[in-house]
Amino acid sequence: MTGAIAGYLPLFDLYLIHLGLAFSQYIVLRAGVFSLATAALAGIGAYTAGIFAVNLGMHPILGLVAGTLTGMGAAVVLSIPLARLRGVYQAIATVAFIQIVLSLNIYSESLTGGAMGLNNIPKTVGTVTLLVFAAGATYLIWALERGRIGRAFDAIRQDEAVAASLGISITRHQTLAFALSGALAGLFGGLEAYHAYALDPNQFGFHLLITVLSYVILGGRNSVAGPLLGTALLIILPELARPLAENRMIIYGIMLIVVINYLPKGVADTFLDWWRARRLGRQGGAP
Amino acid sequence: MLAQQILNGLVVSGVYALFSLGFTLVFGIQRILNLAHGAIFMTGAMVAYYTVAAGGPLWLGFILAIVASGLLSVLVEIVCFRRLRRTGDEEFGGIISSIGAGLVISTIAQQVSSTQILRFPFDTFPVVIFRFWGLRVSMLQLFMAGAAIVLVLVLGYLIYRTGFGRRVRAVTDNEHAAMLMGINPNLVYSQTYFIAGALAGAAGVLVGLAFNSINFVMGEPYLMFGFAIIILGGLGSIPGALLASLVFGMVQTLTIAYLPSGLTSTIIFAALFLILLVRPHGLLGKEDAGNLRGRR
Repeated sequence: MTGAIAGYLPLFDLYLIHLGLAFSQYIVLRAGVFSLATAALAGIGAYTAGIFAVNLGMHPILGLVAGTLTGMGAAVVLSIPLARLRGVYQAIATVAFIQIVLSLNIYSESLTGGAMGLNNIPKTVGTVTLLVFAAGATYLIWALERGRIGRAFDAIRQDEAVAASLGISITRHQTLAFALSGALAGLFGGLEAYHAYALDPNQFGFHLLITVLSYVILGGRNSVAGPLLGTALLIILPELARPLAENRMIIYGIMLIVVINYLPKGVADTFLDWWRARRLGRQGGAP
Repeated sequence: MLAQQILNGLVVSGVYALFSLGFTLVFGIQRILNLAHGAIFMTGAMVAYYTVAAGGPLWLGFILAIVASGLLSVLVEIVCFRRLRRTGDEEFGGIISSIGAGLVISTIAQQVSSTQILRFPFDTFPVVIFRFWGLRVSMLQLFMAGAAIVLVLVLGYLIYRTGFGRRVRAVTDNEHAAMLMGINPNLVYSQTYFIAGALAGAAGVLVGLAFNSINFVMGEPYLMFGFAIIILGGLGSIPGALLASLVFGMVQTLTIAYLPSGLTSTIIFAALFLILLVRPHGLLGKEDAGNLRGRR
């Protein structure tokens, strides 16, 4: 029995790391920014943490702090130009940002190991550490969206003009969302570095962008349950049936098309809406 | 040396023009960024390869590739975008949906080709090299440039000189008003997607012939360059995309020839970023692009 559970432990670790990245993607979409930069920000955090451990021999805690701060810093710097753009233009600019980070990473071989990647990172992060950080991130997002900031995000996402007329600073809130997104991506990138022994530059490219985006789209973009459920479904699904695992990318693709067309709010949010409507209906029906 | 590089740059520009004209045409008409365009481009190259591998002549492969990519593009429009346009969520949803379509197409191509790099058999295209004024031009380069020019002229004729082109431009301007004039927008959309896909498929065959290397991810770099080109030209602008392809093909060829090669894509995407900041509507795009608009 313990053997069976231990067999699924790597999967659970993957879930916890990707959950953090999914929250990083979630928080910007929630604030109405169409940024896809999470993959690049996670790469920046992971490499910072990795270089701190390998080249400088620092303590992992320092490395994680540095990863979080560089991720956040990069995101805040990125938010300045992005504040001038909207919609599709933001998406393209962030995809360009991913390409810039990727090619600089491969080019600066002496620092990052180039195309060979960064190897021999001491493994200092286990399941318990990941669980603590993932729980912390979930709580942070949950607390944030229940408060004033969460409502401000909703207002901005639904209609910027109305939000601005209510005295909500759009630039300030979107910068905040970016800073959070960068910090989460940097932190969980750093955790990935200390969990996986080695980093490869292409790990943080277009592929990760699609994976993380799929989690949020499938789960839902309007409640903390969205990324929690979406990440779980997409990680467990290919494990349930081996033939599915070989076609993982086809499943992701079909899932993206079907969900965005027929269930645009995502699985978790659709269910929550249905549940709330049912409860309201019952209360209304009672004499 | 410089003259030779400029000549090479012109040929590359032709291929970029074929790819990005369809990309920008689709954005112009529906305000949808079709991220499956790279996969459709790859499909063109694959179809041509398998036709030649099955013993067919190259011209047949070229025609089949154009038709197949055109039809695939129409399929993507019907499956991925038609419903989204009705719910009015096409700007955000279209990107997600077409990423999905691109994934499905390229994964199928990966399985068909067993993740291998396919090469046309030697002598599929006659290797003839012309020399004049100290320059080297291969027959293939002449063919690429010729095909690109012919296809661009055909597109220009279709869009600016025919009834079909008028319908496309009417729907681009205002779908509702065009409908009141008796135009069936869905038909116009299907036709436009067919043209966009056919151009991308033709570009795919040319690139496959030029580098003689076809694989399931070959569309990705072109999709990325396509972004840069249609932003530089102005999203949705056909003359802009042509001009930008020319600029882009030249700059890329010259930077590869004269600058450290590892930095080429950094320079290109940094330039894309700068363009978005300074002039988001590009060289020839409309002024309103990138401004606050009702979205999502």
